[in-house]
Amino acid sequence: MKKRRLIDKAARWLITLGGAATIFAVLALFVFLFIEVYPLLRGAKVLKEKTFSLNGKIISLGVDEYQEIAYTVSHDGTIEFISLSDGSIVNTYLIAGLKNSTITSVDKDENRLVLGTNDGRILKVLITFSESFDNEKKVIIPEVSEKEPVQIDDQKRTLRNITSRSDDSATVTVVSTEDGRLLLKSTEDVSTLFDGEKKEIKRDITDLVKRYQPNGLHEPHNSILYSSGLGNGTDITSLALDHFMENLYVGTSSGEIFHINISDKENPSLQEKVRVSDKAVTTLGFLFGDISLVVGDYRGGVNIWMQVRDETSPSGWMLKKIHTLKSHNAPVIAFAPSLRDKGFVTSAANGTIYLNHATSEQNVLIFKVPATPAALTFSPKADGILAASSNNNLFQWIISNPHPEITLKTLFGKVWYEGYEKPEFVWQSTGGTDDFEPKLSLVPLIFGTIKGTVYSMIIAVPIGIFAALYTSQFLHKSLKIIKPVIELMAALPSVILGFLAGLWLAPLIERVFPAIVIMPLFIILSIALALYLWRCLPSWIKGKYRYGAEALFLIPFIIGAIYVSIQLNGVSESVLFGGDYRQWLLHILGLNYDQRNALIVGFAMGFAVIPLIFTISEDAMSNVPNNLTSASLALGATTWHTAVRVVLPTASPGIFSAVMIGFGRAVGETMIVLMATGNTPIMGWNLFNGFRALAANIAVEMPEAPVGGTLYRVLFLAALLLFVTTFIVNTFAETVRQKMKRRYSKL
Amino acid sequence: MKKFLRTGNPYIWLTACALTISMLMVGGLVALITMKGLGIFWPHTIVKFTLQDGTVVLGEIEKEEPIPQKKGMYRTKLKVGNRDVYGMDFRWIDNTDIISREYPLYALTFERREWGNMYGFLKGLKQDGDIQPLNLKELAPLREESKALLKRIRYIERKVIGKINYQMEKYRLALKHLMTQQYSVKAQEDIEEVKAKVENLEKTYREKEDMLAGLYAQAKEKEIIVLLADGKEKNIPVFNIIRVYAPNEMGVFAKIGFYLMKLWEFVSTEPREANTEGGIFPAIFGTVMMVFIMSIAVVPFGVLTAVYLREYADDNIVARLIRISVSNLAGVPSIVFGVFGLGFFIYFVGGNIDKVFFSESLPAPTFGTGGILWASLTLALLTVPVVVVATEEGLSAVPKSVREGSYALGATKFETLWKVVIPQATPGILTGTILAMARAAGEVAPLMLTGVVKLAPSLPVDQYFPYIHFERKFMHLGFHIYDVGFQSPNVEAAIPMVYTTTLVLLFIVLVLNLTAIVMRNKLRKRYRTTAL
Repeated sequence: MKKRRLIDKAARWLITLGGAATIFAVLALFVFLFIEVYPLLRGAKVLKEKTFSLNGKIISLGVDEYQEIAYTVSHDGTIEFISLSDGSIVNTYLIAGLKNSTITSVDKDENRLVLGTNDGRILKVLITFSESFDNEKKVIIPEVSEKEPVQIDDQKRTLRNITSRSDDSATVTVVSTEDGRLLLKSTEDVSTLFDGEKKEIKRDITDLVKRYQPNGLHEPHNSILYSSGLGNGTDITSLALDHFMENLYVGTSSGEIFHINISDKENPSLQEKVRVSDKAVTTLGFLFGDISLVVGDYRGGVNIWMQVRDETSPSGWMLKKIHTLKSHNAPVIAFAPSLRDKGFVTSAANGTIYLNHATSEQNVLIFKVPATPAALTFSPKADGILAASSNNNLFQWIISNPHPEITLKTLFGKVWYEGYEKPEFVWQSTGGTDDFEPKLSLVPLIFGTIKGTVYSMIIAVPIGIFAALYTSQFLHKSLKIIKPVIELMAALPSVILGFLAGLWLAPLIERVFPAIVIMPLFIILSIALALYLWRCLPSWIKGKYRYGAEALFLIPFIIGAIYVSIQLNGVSESVLFGGDYRQWLLHILGLNYDQRNALIVGFAMGFAVIPLIFTISEDAMSNVPNNLTSASLALGATTWHTAVRVVLPTASPGIFSAVMIGFGRAVGETMIVLMATGNTPIMGWNLFNGFRALAANIAVEMPEAPVGGTLYRVLFLAALLLFVTTFIVNTFAETVRQKMKRRYSKL
Repeated sequence: MKKFLRTGNPYIWLTACALTISMLMVGGLVALITMKGLGIFWPHTIVKFTLQDGTVVLGEIEKEEPIPQKKGMYRTKLKVGNRDVYGMDFRWIDNTDIISREYPLYALTFERREWGNMYGFLKGLKQDGDIQPLNLKELAPLREESKALLKRIRYIERKVIGKINYQMEKYRLALKHLMTQQYSVKAQEDIEEVKAKVENLEKTYREKEDMLAGLYAQAKEKEIIVLLADGKEKNIPVFNIIRVYAPNEMGVFAKIGFYLMKLWEFVSTEPREANTEGGIFPAIFGTVMMVFIMSIAVVPFGVLTAVYLREYADDNIVARLIRISVSNLAGVPSIVFGVFGLGFFIYFVGGNIDKVFFSESLPAPTFGTGGILWASLTLALLTVPVVVVATEEGLSAVPKSVREGSYALGATKFETLWKVVIPQATPGILTGTILAMARAAGEVAPLMLTGVVKLAPSLPVDQYFPYIHFERKFMHLGFHIYDVGFQSPNVEAAIPMVYTTTLVLLFIVLVLNLTAIVMRNKLRKRYRTTAL
């Protein structure tokens, strides 16, 4: 007896647990999706902070990929390799080619340093790190190689600023001297098949800048840092050359940038001059990809400028400010780009160091050091920042900054991306190159989802509700078998609907589009005809055909209407659309016609939603208590009036929840949208364009997304959005339905 | 007229129209798929067109349609095959260009292992450099020969080499495992032993490979020469021919026989040529197996929930929450389940299983990647509501009096449930299970994230321990439709196959649903009588 009771109790527990498991499942769904999304919202973190002391003032610094060894370059040409685990000096290298001169300017491009000296020479130094394994332990070995110095300035003056880029065959270097001259040197391999020949060009291009001096606007500036006079009191303060070796930017102490086009090295030309600040431009540099130009000024402003297509400018391009970042409120002195994404670090004279991200305009992290951080570097894997300060300290911060490009603004707002004419909503998660800027705006996808849903609901709601009204109120009892047939429609896999929509319906509608336009008219005409014929029928046939069989009686008429309108395709095309509907749409309405478009999705998804709306609203309508309809009929109302005035209002909560559930289905439908549209993430209500919906986007991109990456998490966010939307809609619909059920049971 | 409008009759007709349209949509869709899907295996006659510019083409007529923008003109889409010669399978011909059309009796359709069909005339046999005339009857023994050869090749490739690969992988993992262990003489000996075994295996592998190469060379020895429509000659190795037939010679019965044979081939063999030809057996197998694994997971879960809701819960907050959860599980988009399955089952659960049990083979994931188990579990979550609703209906149909009778005899609640209520509600549970299976068979979106592939190298069941491989990727009918119809390089040639695959899927889904509907109706009828 005891055993039986025990079993009974255990069973009760087990079953309750099983029941509750459903709640857990839904909760787990939400929680798990959220856990995967959460890191997007969390900012960057500093994992470790270290300080080392240096032997002297340095002018440049760098670090290896694993942040084990850093190197510093000092004015006298000593390169010191410092172990970042204990601060000891691993290796010292003296640049031999320097002789007795000192380094006055540096341009660092990844691991290649180009140094300018105080006697007008330039010197290339390559620093590489190689790994070797010693007893299964990784050892990083630094190596330095230098090239013969080249005399760039024949007057042997000090080189204030330097910028240099090179590829396999060409090198371009631009320097500014202390006396304000701007010199360009370019070497190019013009190798024929047999002998390699070098073509060398040397140009003094000071004139390009000098000619455009502002009228006596003298800006006070730090004369110790920037003293190369241009005349008129304006100096060249910074230089930047892109890796295409075509665009040279020259920043001046008067707050202007000269954009010099050097694609023709023989004849460089000034393309544009822009005022970027009311104070001196102090740093110039490119973000990864060399398209966006980061401009730091004397006030501490950090802005990003880019060449944007503009019809009004003679060259067709114009420098425009695309991003503004948090100001340092002190002269910006150093800049270092990330080699992974569009992030960068800047430092200012007041000891602040900012880690920023250009796309999201986000100030990710702020560091503060006691003295001026004169040299900066970003580790190759973008997981660490090093700064050397003027009081001979080296700071290292190891950071975790997994998703800097995501803010609410980049997800849901307009962003000015590289290569775009204005801020826009764009979804483009992957590109062909490493320096691609991911464009992760969810707005086009949300828009696509809404567009697909709206068009399919326009088709599904009237058909579903009318069919339900007819089935519940007018259909003859013996024909109730039709109901499961429609329910069978709900069981059709969406992949079948999508396949037919994409490969059968889309080409078909493209061919007979004019017929589709006139089809509703013909269907209504055919109903009128059927109605007329029905009334003309002798009563003995009517008797056989009973009321409530109209739906069956209509079948041949509707097939006829469809057939006739397709036959009249050519006629209607020439009458309505002047012979070619595509041209007509394009010229009269300005609409483009894609084969796989929103109309197709509307039909196919409507097909999937109709049975849902039908079943639930039919249930609601046929459950309307009999006494209500009977009372209405007894008062002399016709069946139609009873249906519209009594049944519809009473069942309206049920119908409402049916529409909501249909809506939920359409929002999340994946395969139909995937197969029946072109999946192009464009925005616009054009019925004849495709779109990309959230759900289809997940299906397309998720298999390719690296686990834990930004795209992966953004896709989880898309899933979470879908989940939350449908959760709200469904819960609401379900509550309404439960309430209605209770109300009916009271009636 | 006004009076007539006021009766509301026209509006009733309008609503009737909505129902008619819905019915036509279902009927039309089923009819369309059936028509298009069933047609493709029927042997088409081969037509020979002579065109105005003197060219001669041979092929099957695919369809005829009016030329857009040209009144009263028609064009014909001809399947000319011979992709290796012409580059394209299809050719559009304006009907006005056609001077004559003939149906040559001896025109042959060659189904080939590569490059699709070839249409032409059999000219001769090339063997060791000699060319001899040959007719269709004489070709038959040669084909038998090459079939036997193929069987041998397949045996070596699949069974023998498959086994070697399987053992190699086992030894490789064992070796890796041994390497990580503490150094000892015993371990060193073991390592040597395994290495020797691996070497042995490699030797056998090379032998078998040489043997295969020999067999393939042998397969290429005999070639038939086919005369194409434009007078060119083309050699095809006998080995590459799957089937040769002369459709213009066939009678109706021959055609029916041919049709059935092709249909059987379709459902029982593996796909060829990037899924655009051959059969869909692995997809059917994958679908069925996934659906079964899913049922095993979903039925207990769904039934427990339904039993709780019907038999145990009062109208309290928990029950209401469960109801909302169930309706949400039904309403949440399937792709969200896919995302959940990917993140939770695959990367979280699977990743941890790999760390604990399959650490030797890391970083190559075993369970940490899409597989049939994870796909099934994901779909199980998706189909819970279907089982819950149907089971609830089954439970509620059991009359109260039956329960009360059981209680009166002194049975506890659980005993009543177990011995009386559940047996009576079995048809309801079964209905739910079948409906869940139907739903799972047609669902594709979540599978795309959790382990379906366009071409699985091996079935999830084979002769190697543990026989059922839950971690393997699988093929699925629905995904097959998507993949072949939208991702294959030669969509035009693949479309007929997609229709047939669609028909198979539709057939499975409809049969399952109809079974469920019939069962549900029977259940309802039964209790309508017992309740009296």
